[in-house]
Amino acid sequence: MSELLSNLALGFGVAFSPMNVLFCLLGALVGTLVGVLPGIGTVATIAMLLPITFGLPPVGALIMLAGIYYGAQYGGSTTSVLVNIPGEATSVVTCLDGHQMARQGRAGAALAIAAIGSFFAGCVATVLVAALGAPLTSLALLFGPAEYFSLMVLGLIFAVVLAKGSVLKAIAMVLSGLLMSMVGSDLETGAGRMTFDIAELADGIGFTNIAMGVFGFAEIIRNLELPSESRDIVSSKVTGLMPTRKDLIDASGAIARGTLLGSLLGILPGGGAVIASFAAYTFEKRMSKDPSKFGKGAIEGVAAPESANNAAAQTAFIPLLTLGIPPNAVMALMVGAMTIHGIVPGPQVMTKQPELFWGMIASMWIGNLMLVIINLPLVGVWVTLLRVPYRLLFPSIIVFCCIGIYSINNAPTDVMISAMFGVVGYWLIKHDFEAAPMLLGFVLGPLMEENLRRAMLIARGDATVFFTRPISGGLLAVAIVLLILAVLPMIRKRREEVFVE
Amino acid sequence: MAEDVQPSRNEPHVAEPLTDRRKGGIIITAVALVLLLATFYVSSPTVPRVMAILVAVVGVGVIAGWVPVRAPQDFYGGLALVLLSTFAIVASAELPGQRGFAFGPGTAPRLFAIVLAALGVTIALTGVFSDGARIEKYKIRGPVLVIVGISLFAALIRPFGLIIATYLAFMVSITGSKEMRWVESAIAAAAMTLGCVLLFVYLLNLPFQLWPPSNALQLFVNQFADMFKTLYLLLQKFVPGLK
Repeated sequence: MSELLSNLALGFGVAFSPMNVLFCLLGALVGTLVGVLPGIGTVATIAMLLPITFGLPPVGALIMLAGIYYGAQYGGSTTSVLVNIPGEATSVVTCLDGHQMARQGRAGAALAIAAIGSFFAGCVATVLVAALGAPLTSLALLFGPAEYFSLMVLGLIFAVVLAKGSVLKAIAMVLSGLLMSMVGSDLETGAGRMTFDIAELADGIGFTNIAMGVFGFAEIIRNLELPSESRDIVSSKVTGLMPTRKDLIDASGAIARGTLLGSLLGILPGGGAVIASFAAYTFEKRMSKDPSKFGKGAIEGVAAPESANNAAAQTAFIPLLTLGIPPNAVMALMVGAMTIHGIVPGPQVMTKQPELFWGMIASMWIGNLMLVIINLPLVGVWVTLLRVPYRLLFPSIIVFCCIGIYSINNAPTDVMISAMFGVVGYWLIKHDFEAAPMLLGFVLGPLMEENLRRAMLIARGDATVFFTRPISGGLLAVAIVLLILAVLPMIRKRREEVFVE
Repeated sequence: MAEDVQPSRNEPHVAEPLTDRRKGGIIITAVALVLLLATFYVSSPTVPRVMAILVAVVGVGVIAGWVPVRAPQDFYGGLALVLLSTFAIVASAELPGQRGFAFGPGTAPRLFAIVLAALGVTIALTGVFSDGARIEKYKIRGPVLVIVGISLFAALIRPFGLIIATYLAFMVSITGSKEMRWVESAIAAAAMTLGCVLLFVYLLNLPFQLWPPSNALQLFVNQFADMFKTLYLLLQKFVPGLK
């Protein structure tokens, strides 16, 4: 316990340095700014803003990225409430009651409750991350290559099972991502793989290029062909920012339950935050004495999913920081960002760079606080931003992304590769494939292959090692059970219901 | 098979119309044949060759209307994955495989490609045996103009500098929207360019060339010369006798 406190103290010492507070503030601000724009999800937001963190020292850069992440999440709920367009998948359910509240003139209360709920969830999750960090890291030290491989398989299966849509297609996407990650020089022998001797491919396909292509450009192309949406912006001035005492009392239980549910689901790999918000909403509706008020502006319907998605967004850092395994596409981007700064995520980060590890955890809390402070007064600014028509917004996003991609390596070919992946992403959308598992597979690919090769070498070519070693075998067994459950028709129906609602 | 081709009124889901099938089948067959051709230039061609032939046969079957495609999204998506894995196997055919206990550089790509191919076949089969969604019509204008805009940025950024590249990329990609208005766009493009210059060059201090240097045209041409050289080198591998 005292160790935990001293660690947190170290973290706050780092995070409260004026520069880092500034980075955190800046990140949260820009994150919200981009997150508010409709049609750009969290992944695209982070990919877009990645380049602006390059010039910073590693700690500052990661703190800023974490700020961007929360900001993007929060920006998504703002659009949900004000225009009934979810900025992110995680805030889809917030639309249901949040926008109704806004139409009843209670937009201020809805936004405030979302912020307060998120902040509370953030506080709890921060402590949870700090508390679970050390034990999980020591667990990671027990892991050999076989265990790591099995753990990643489990993580990917989780991602597949929790994602919406066909399980089969999601696994296929993971495998496509794995295959793409193998383009470039082989780690052990240095042989160029699937590069056709093209110099630009020798280092492999850049991960930001893929992310920007399938999440940024493809989404834009897709949005262009949809009929121009009639945006139902709440035109009346947002008044009464503070929720009433009754609102607070009504929401408090929902916030607590949402936080609990979100924290648990966030640790699980796979779109944790999305599932968490859906689950929290459904749970709250079941718990309520008067379920009929949901969908008509119930404050619990805003408080629960918003707390849950924020808690989940934060506990998603646990597998990344302790085991080095990104549980979802956003965390995959974080791995990319860390690698660019020369940090290999995993258990060694905590022991070798404690100030980075604890600084980032402390900054999560600061980031949440900032969101409460900056967002409520800035609601007016976000509303103005939402009035910018999409026809002007999308070319701006495109050139911004182009400059961002180019600036990573000063390579025009990177921009071309992203454009190509934009087309690929468009094709994926048309064929109802999800891009997120592909990105996750792409990021985990090199790690998985390396551990697979090492495990096979240690076991002298005996593939059964993955099943005979107890931890590894256990992890794989869980993965198989999950997969079977997901394919069973009964569960499949339930899954669809959750996503339809 | 005939009953699948002719739409019946009682069923809400019917096989997709023959014209769409022809298009899909032709694309699949063409890609499969190109891959088949490529297998003649690698040293261990059996597996990918068989895969390419099988896909080509299925493609011909689709064109002829023998294959009842009930869920086009899944059917073509699955086949595309099979083609992707075939491509990966061809591309990694020259890499050494397993030696003793150790994986070679080629082992993992081939391993994962085979698994992907199996999944692709399964997905395609679900598209034959169960009803599913049609493929939405592809739009041409928006995607093409956006991609042209992005490519223009890539082509112009080195030789002509940030300002010209950003402005032109904005102007081209904005035409991808049907609601585009010229004057408004020109002003927005200028504002965005200014904003990007301020942000990336002055605030973030990234090393960008702002205006075209005196030898801009030369650089522009060289860039394309380099590209063609790479393509030519690639072609040399596949076309014997090309020097």
